[in-house]
Amino acid sequence: MADGAASQEDVLKSIIGQPTGKSKVVVERGPVQHFADAVLSASPIYHDPAAAKGAGFDNIPAPPTWPFAMEFSGKFAEMQPADAPSGNPLATVLGPLMAKGGLILHGEEEFLYHRPVEVGDVLIGDGVISDVYQKESKGRTMTFICSETTWTEESTGEPVVTARMNLIHRS
Amino acid sequence: MGEKKLSYGDVQVGDEAPVISHTLTRTDLVKYAGASGDFNPMHHDEVAAQQAGQPSVFGHGMFSMGLLGTALTDYVGVGNVTRYQVRFARQTWPDEVLSSKIVVTAKREEDGKKLLDLAVTLSNGEGEDKLVGEATAALP
Repeated sequence: MADGAASQEDVLKSIIGQPTGKSKVVVERGPVQHFADAVLSASPIYHDPAAAKGAGFDNIPAPPTWPFAMEFSGKFAEMQPADAPSGNPLATVLGPLMAKGGLILHGEEEFLYHRPVEVGDVLIGDGVISDVYQKESKGRTMTFICSETTWTEESTGEPVVTARMNLIHRS
Repeated sequence: MGEKKLSYGDVQVGDEAPVISHTLTRTDLVKYAGASGDFNPMHHDEVAAQQAGQPSVFGHGMFSMGLLGTALTDYVGVGNVTRYQVRFARQTWPDEVLSSKIVVTAKREEDGKKLLDLAVTLSNGEGEDKLVGEATAALP
């Protein structure tokens, strides 16, 4: 099965550098408020524009992990970039792995903030697969897929937040 | 820009943030699902979770990271976190008491910014780590 193993390795490596998508997201007050409640924050800054201004913000800011969830409420179909890549490199790798069973786990998550995300922001996200590799652990094959999404302000092109994650398929 | 909570001069390496402790409920998971759009049934559908071999529904990893993020911003101030990273060490289960631990590991000034490095963990009542990570904050 040496040929099979080699071709699987090729499939894994083939998605490194592939885009995972490009999206435009609008940050709205209601969803930010609900998200802050859901992560059990009692801070008035997420609810009250006056409290946000008093803390030095132009608009209500979003909690730290908001970028992971913001496409759900703020990605409107008619606004999406025409040059968004098609296809899903994650599916290229995970599809064949999941066909043989196993579990997908969220291994790590990291955010690098250039400034806080705020209500009213219109952000462009550009994602890429940064690495793919496998490790053997306790008789199982662990496949690590690392991706990075850079969010920039649409009007200025200035970076706002970079999100890095790794997903693990455990055989 | 950012909420003034801590003064750089008052913080010492080894200082710990106030602990947030929270008993995880299924309602927390439903609220987080609705706010984040993560409707994986493993996090809200007891029947589906048990059919998949899990003892019950279990928490979204990103709920845990969000809760620990709340403990972090309560300490350093909203808008001041410049980096926040975690590894998801274990699943979380309803009725577990999740507690934050945030420790200042370094103070440094860089490019005129007053930075704190922090070790962040979320663990249960038995002391099992759920999240292990790091954060950096730039104090206003």
